[in-house]
Amino acid sequence: MTETLVVRERGATAPSTGRHRLLPALLHGRGLLGLVLVATVVLLGVLAPLLAPYPPNQQIAGANLLGPGGAHLLGTDEVNRDLLSRTLYGIRVDLVVVFVAVPLGAVLGGLVGLVASAWSWADVLTQRAFDLVLAFPALILAIALTACLGAGLTTVAVVIMVAEVPVFGRMVRSSALVVREMPYVESSRVVGASTWWVLRRHVLPNSLEPVIVQLALSMSVAVFLEGAMSFLGIGVRPPSPSLGSLIKDGVRNIYESPTFALGPLVLVAALVLGFLLVAQALSKARAQ
Amino acid sequence: MTRYLLRRVPSALLVVAVASVLVFAVIRVVPGDPVATLAGPDASPEARAAIRHDLGLDRPVTTQYVAWVGRLLHGDLGTSYLIGGDIGTLVRHGLTNTIVLTAAALLIAVLLGLVLSLVTVIADKRWLDGLLAAGNTLAVALPTFVTGLLLVLVFAILLPVLPAGGVPPDGFVARPDIAVQYLLLPALCLSLPTAAALTRFLTDALQTQLREPYVLTATALGISRRRIVLTQALRNALPSTVTMLGIQVGVLLGGAVLVEAIFAWPGLGRLIEQGISSRDYPVVQVLLLLSVAVFVVTQLLSDVVHAWLDPRVRLGGES
Repeated sequence: MTETLVVRERGATAPSTGRHRLLPALLHGRGLLGLVLVATVVLLGVLAPLLAPYPPNQQIAGANLLGPGGAHLLGTDEVNRDLLSRTLYGIRVDLVVVFVAVPLGAVLGGLVGLVASAWSWADVLTQRAFDLVLAFPALILAIALTACLGAGLTTVAVVIMVAEVPVFGRMVRSSALVVREMPYVESSRVVGASTWWVLRRHVLPNSLEPVIVQLALSMSVAVFLEGAMSFLGIGVRPPSPSLGSLIKDGVRNIYESPTFALGPLVLVAALVLGFLLVAQALSKARAQ
Repeated sequence: MTRYLLRRVPSALLVVAVASVLVFAVIRVVPGDPVATLAGPDASPEARAAIRHDLGLDRPVTTQYVAWVGRLLHGDLGTSYLIGGDIGTLVRHGLTNTIVLTAAALLIAVLLGLVLSLVTVIADKRWLDGLLAAGNTLAVALPTFVTGLLLVLVFAILLPVLPAGGVPPDGFVARPDIAVQYLLLPALCLSLPTAAALTRFLTDALQTQLREPYVLTATALGISRRRIVLTQALRNALPSTVTMLGIQVGVLLGGAVLVEAIFAWPGLGRLIEQGISSRDYPVVQVLLLLSVAVFVVTQLLSDVVHAWLDPRVRLGGES
């Protein structure tokens, strides 16, 4: 009985999770700038059906490769489609990739990392598997998976998930290895806590802070990867627009219409920069 | 060193071996059938079977794998289904262009990184730190295809001073002055993310070194900041930087695929892109395996160079 009481006292010194520390970092300085950039692009994408003057794939008679201005704010493409509308709808592809594929990869990676930290055979197995995935540069991995799955939005999402699993897996595993040795975890083991209980109660909350920072970083990487894949023609299939495929179209028409890709270029830059600034602000807040 | 290599080389070989199985397997489960593409829609079943037999696709998968690896080890990379010709020849052509591009990019990145971080650390001015940090964030944040397109827009279309793409028509050696013009934009574009990462890393490493006691001693002896940085701090900051550069080679390899697409640079990146779009699997699998091998070898090399630069690293030990 006495022992339980002592344990409780030591258990109370377990560090709190960092959510309250991280949030204020997003409300000023570069954190705020990043948040505003991301929020603006997200809003433009979500409201695309309301904001877009034309359906994204509608061909408008007589509007061939127009420059920006007049009825077409960003101009038109070589098959007479309104570029502003295509750009706004193109954002939605990135939203799927950023807000679905990255979190899925993070959850999957986190689970694998947790399991790896608890059982040594799983650890050896997953570490080697992670090594293998990380031995492929991201874009080469994308090409390999596309060769296997065929091009399309699903493939882009799968590529991003596969690329992110080792990143989050390593991170959760290494913070789990540290937490496992903490006195309060040892104490809870003494009173009979199961491995799962320790993972859920102590390891998971303590891995949360670095994971949140990494999420923002990975989201910027995801925007880049989607853009790169669509740019290479192994991303979203035509005629659906994505920011990357619009940039690719822009390169094809660069002499006839130099301003073709400016809209998507600015949006991709804003998204990547926004997520990067958020990640920088968060990791600075953690370090303090 | 020998003991260290004995431990590291087998694990590197294992990664390459597993990658070769994966690459081979991945290509077999692909939905599209290369025989259908080659034979055309009107081919008779007999013609298809003949093509299948010629390509060795009618044999068991394990036999195909062993045969493929055996030929690779003898330097025979196989024959392309569609682009046509010997893959070895295709790879050699592409490899030269890619190596020139990547080496030029690495050179620019190392020069930019060294100069920028040394100037910032030696000058020790707040505004310079801020400026560098902002420039750094931008260089990291702007994806290669964005900077590439902006470079083409500005330097090849708005002010037409440099070619928008392609390789120098007379090769790299005959007219170096023209080769540089063709190389400048793609190499700069490819180098920017690496230059930014290198600058940030080296600046941090130098500043960490400057907090060490030996720097305090040197300062007390009246040695100037510039001399301390150049003769002592840099020497100590270099080993970890080399390891970091080794990882950057992977970034450069991935980036090269994009840069070659933007600047119509006929290297390995273009070849793999063509291979994917025409479902030319023999080409794709050789190139995928090659990129993994290059990556594994550079990692190993950078670790060895790290140990050579930093005698404190005990290669045979736990590190």
